[in-house]
Amino acid sequence: MALLAGAFSSAEAQDPRIGNRLDAPTRKALSALVDSARASGVPVEPLMEKVYQGLAMGADGPRIVVAVRKLTVEMANAQRVLGTVATTDELKAAASAVHAGVPAVELGKMKKQSGLRRSLTLPFTVLADIVSRGVPVQTAANAIRSLVGAGARDRDISEFQRNVQVDIEKGAQPQAAAETRVKGAVTTPSARPDKREQE
Amino acid sequence: MPDWSRTSLELIVQELQRPVRFDESFDRRVMVAVRRSYAERRPRGAAGWIGAAVHMTRRPAYAAALAAGVVAVVTVGMLRSRPETVAGNESIPVQFVLVAPEARSVTVVGDFNNWGLGDTALVAENHNGVWSVSAPVPAGVHRYAFLVNGKQWVADPTAPRAAGDDFGQPSSALVVEGSAE
Repeated sequence: MALLAGAFSSAEAQDPRIGNRLDAPTRKALSALVDSARASGVPVEPLMEKVYQGLAMGADGPRIVVAVRKLTVEMANAQRVLGTVATTDELKAAASAVHAGVPAVELGKMKKQSGLRRSLTLPFTVLADIVSRGVPVQTAANAIRSLVGAGARDRDISEFQRNVQVDIEKGAQPQAAAETRVKGAVTTPSARPDKREQE
Repeated sequence: MPDWSRTSLELIVQELQRPVRFDESFDRRVMVAVRRSYAERRPRGAAGWIGAAVHMTRRPAYAAALAAGVVAVVTVGMLRSRPETVAGNESIPVQFVLVAPEARSVTVVGDFNNWGLGDTALVAENHNGVWSVSAPVPAGVHRYAFLVNGKQWVADPTAPRAAGDDFGQPSSALVVEGSAE
């Protein structure tokens, strides 16, 4: 991955996995984006993964550039509110949430609430998922914040996501599903901090 | 006078600790039962030939099976926990499953294998319409999708959606729990 990131910063070098599948203007645009991201401290690996995804899905150069540019902005926004303590995975998940429509400031609140040690990769992933399934942004953010604040573990939050997904697939209104399921999740014994410490 | 309650408890513990032998068909029978149970509980996917994917981490029965060492470390879904047996290793085995009875081929591509570039796609095996492949996946968050018949992109119906379809195709999110958690 790092090799490819370097490839875009060098006009001559070329990743064998990409070969000649990107034209010169696209490579040049991506090179500029990657260099810009690297200069601002935004991890470049997720950007390269986006390039791979675009190539695999048969997207043309301009579309790949647009997607990578959008991801760069979303990750930069996420990093701004999460701080330098955020891991690449957290930023990647946070960018997905931002992409889904969650204001970055909401993610910052969650990070501040959860402390430095608690990874929010999965909570952000679930947040992005339920918003994409139609749960209103504020409802979804409140739900995840409640879960994180209650000391819910990743498996609890994963279970919450599954329940909301199934409820919606069965015809439930997304907001009602999220609001109802979060009540059960935060009162479940396994979600209590004291229980978590015993394990 | 003997402590009968203690003796009984010890007997129970002894019985529970006794190794249980399973015949070779046990795994297969467990999988059949779980798939049947899963198919009954899960609604069918939007695409006609896509049924429901097995989501092993969602079944308490699997946790019990894993604890008993009956089933190898195979998980499908959003959260893959890092089992102690692979502590120190940054990848854990993940099983990807798609029910697609009419498919001719199914591969899995995602962030973890550079989206199949350079022939890195995971080729699933067909088990009577249940397509499955297992592979070690590094800890972290990954986007992935199934590629059916080499041309149709299908998100994992049992996993969270990856936000955004920048390229007009669906994809799913996978979080493999790392050592930091």
